[in-house]
Amino acid sequence: MTIKIAQLSCGTEYSSVQYEIEKAARSVGAKIVYPDVSASDIDNAVKRFGFNPRSSQLKLMIARAVQLADGKYDADAVFITTCFRCAEAALVRNELRRFIQENTRLPVVTYSFTERLKASQLLTRMEALVTIVTRKELLARERQTGITVGIDSGSSTTKAVVMENNKIIGKDWTPSGDVIASATLVLNNALEMAGIEMKQVEAIGTTGYGRFTLGDHFGAKLVQEELTVNSKGAVWLADRQRGEATIIDIGGMDNKAITVRDGVPDNFTMGGICAGASGRFLEMTSKRLKIDVTELGALADKGNWRNAKMNSYCSVFGIQDLVTTLGDGKSFEDVAAAACHSVAEQVYEQQLQEIDVRHPIIQVGGTSLISGLVTAVGEVLGERPIVPPDSQYIGAVGGALLSSGFL
Amino acid sequence: MTEERETRLFMISPRSMLTPDQLVRLIHAYGAEAIVKETCYGCLVEGPRSLVLDILARVREKHPNEVFSKIRAYPCSDPRRCRAQHGTRPGFAQLEEEWELLSKIQYGLDRVSEGAGYKQYEDRKRISVNDFKRICEVQ
Amino acid sequence: MKVFIDPPNSLVLFDLVERFGHEPLSTMAAIQERVDNLEVDMPPMNVTLDDVVRGLKYAGVEVPSGVRGRLSLWGPLIEQADAAIIMDDCPYSFGCVGCERSELMVKYLIKRRGIPTLHVRYPSTDEEAVSFVAMAKEFLEGLN
Repeated sequence: MTIKIAQLSCGTEYSSVQYEIEKAARSVGAKIVYPDVSASDIDNAVKRFGFNPRSSQLKLMIARAVQLADGKYDADAVFITTCFRCAEAALVRNELRRFIQENTRLPVVTYSFTERLKASQLLTRMEALVTIVTRKELLARERQTGITVGIDSGSSTTKAVVMENNKIIGKDWTPSGDVIASATLVLNNALEMAGIEMKQVEAIGTTGYGRFTLGDHFGAKLVQEELTVNSKGAVWLADRQRGEATIIDIGGMDNKAITVRDGVPDNFTMGGICAGASGRFLEMTSKRLKIDVTELGALADKGNWRNAKMNSYCSVFGIQDLVTTLGDGKSFEDVAAAACHSVAEQVYEQQLQEIDVRHPIIQVGGTSLISGLVTAVGEVLGERPIVPPDSQYIGAVGGALLSSGFL
Repeated sequence: MTEERETRLFMISPRSMLTPDQLVRLIHAYGAEAIVKETCYGCLVEGPRSLVLDILARVREKHPNEVFSKIRAYPCSDPRRCRAQHGTRPGFAQLEEEWELLSKIQYGLDRVSEGAGYKQYEDRKRISVNDFKRICEVQ
Repeated sequence: MKVFIDPPNSLVLFDLVERFGHEPLSTMAAIQERVDNLEVDMPPMNVTLDDVVRGLKYAGVEVPSGVRGRLSLWGPLIEQADAAIIMDDCPYSFGCVGCERSELMVKYLIKRRGIPTLHVRYPSTDEEAVSFVAMAKEFLEGLN
């Protein structure tokens, strides 16, 4: 079956990205369609929606959304996309996302693009949309059953979790090396911790960039992109399976911010443009301070970032600023706090602007263990994020939880 | 490139009694080697530029102010534009509006060819604050 | 003479310019060149990546890509135009099916070129249409 994805957009045909959008949809077995509207529908739709933008293409987007909301046009999912940096479109995009969610059960993802469209991000979004449509019942799963394993083969670390009857009974992680060897190592350690033998495992779920290789190797029942899997893992760990939330994962190399509704993602942004906005910056700061990165968080919590002003977010010049500050006699605590604040502020400015932050905020991933960074994210967003236990295992937990749906 | 292929919309004014079917038959009767595709608003004509322009001139001669025309960037049946492939592209609603407008333009062309002129636009000025104040005081 | 029309894809303006003896400069012609250009390996949808980058001539990188892509189509047309006709007060779904900011910039670029320009109002009655056509006719015939 071909999944019909309704595109509501402005600017795609004048940014040379329309072809890429259609290609990404095709590659995951979907097809882009446009809800038909006539000129007379547009006026009524805009009045009903209540937001009257100046740009005619945005009015057309609204009319198309109303066709979907009224069930006059049949589609399986909705993709809302507009130009990055357009304020008018950003307002409409977000409000239409809300409108579609309030008036239909269709999954929605939103995206703001530039002409340098990131094909992999687009593909993950399309793949997630198709997953949400075709695996609706699976994604509704809120409890893990039986004995299952989740393996998350990430770009920097590989994690495995063993779960039994909705509890984590074994877990391990290691820096990623050879995909199969790393996964085998963490899997064996997690099984040992759980006191379970491989033959007792009823299902395996794999996610992360090595998911296909591991899926074949271990005969996994679930091989799925990390967007839907991580979301499920995060809301399970934080016990926030219902309602809305924002999941923030500041990784060692790249960052993800995912907004979810009832545990199902509807938008996400994935960064990786700048080391200054990642966990790598904190690692480098720790090295310059000659402390272990695990100590940085507690140190930062005691400091005040305002005392150690940085003139740059850059991992080269920013860290130089911090060292100069130390020379001026400022405390290690203040410098550690400034480093955490810098990363949080950058993630906020570069990434969270592309999504509509919803509450509560759940912070996950390895860096969520650095308490100073969680404090800084909380300060920037005006609300302290929830850091669930085992927050670095979201992908593996999501894999174990969802794969139990195949039992 | 333009010399090689020209695709044109021929759109009939809603005020005209001409039907798309009649228009297509008229064009076919010229015996020209062009693709003619009937549509709800008139037809699409595709062929070498000089041929398409010749067809347009002959149609205009017969129906001077009833058939309107513009070029189309994409060839006939191009899947990127074709409505059957994915629904309407953004220009569809605009064409609908323009089609309705053609009725007035036809009227305008008819009157102008009889010698009618234009009236200068009146400036739509707002009343002065003092005038407005006076009105408010009277109320 | 070459006459830029605004909205740049208007059937009515395209037709009138041609009817009164001039060459309309339109979005369709600009896109047609790209559609028929076989050197482009990927079938473009209106514009190519190079076009959007070329749009930097008219607006900086902080301006959304959709605005730059549109300007990369219309900017060069305005540069070669000898005159322009602008239809004001169009109903909203009428126009270059898009972006208000791009439309504002187009009007500004025409103004900056300093070419003869006619502003006509979108007619809402038959009588207004008579004025509309008569003005366009006088302007276009006066260009020769």
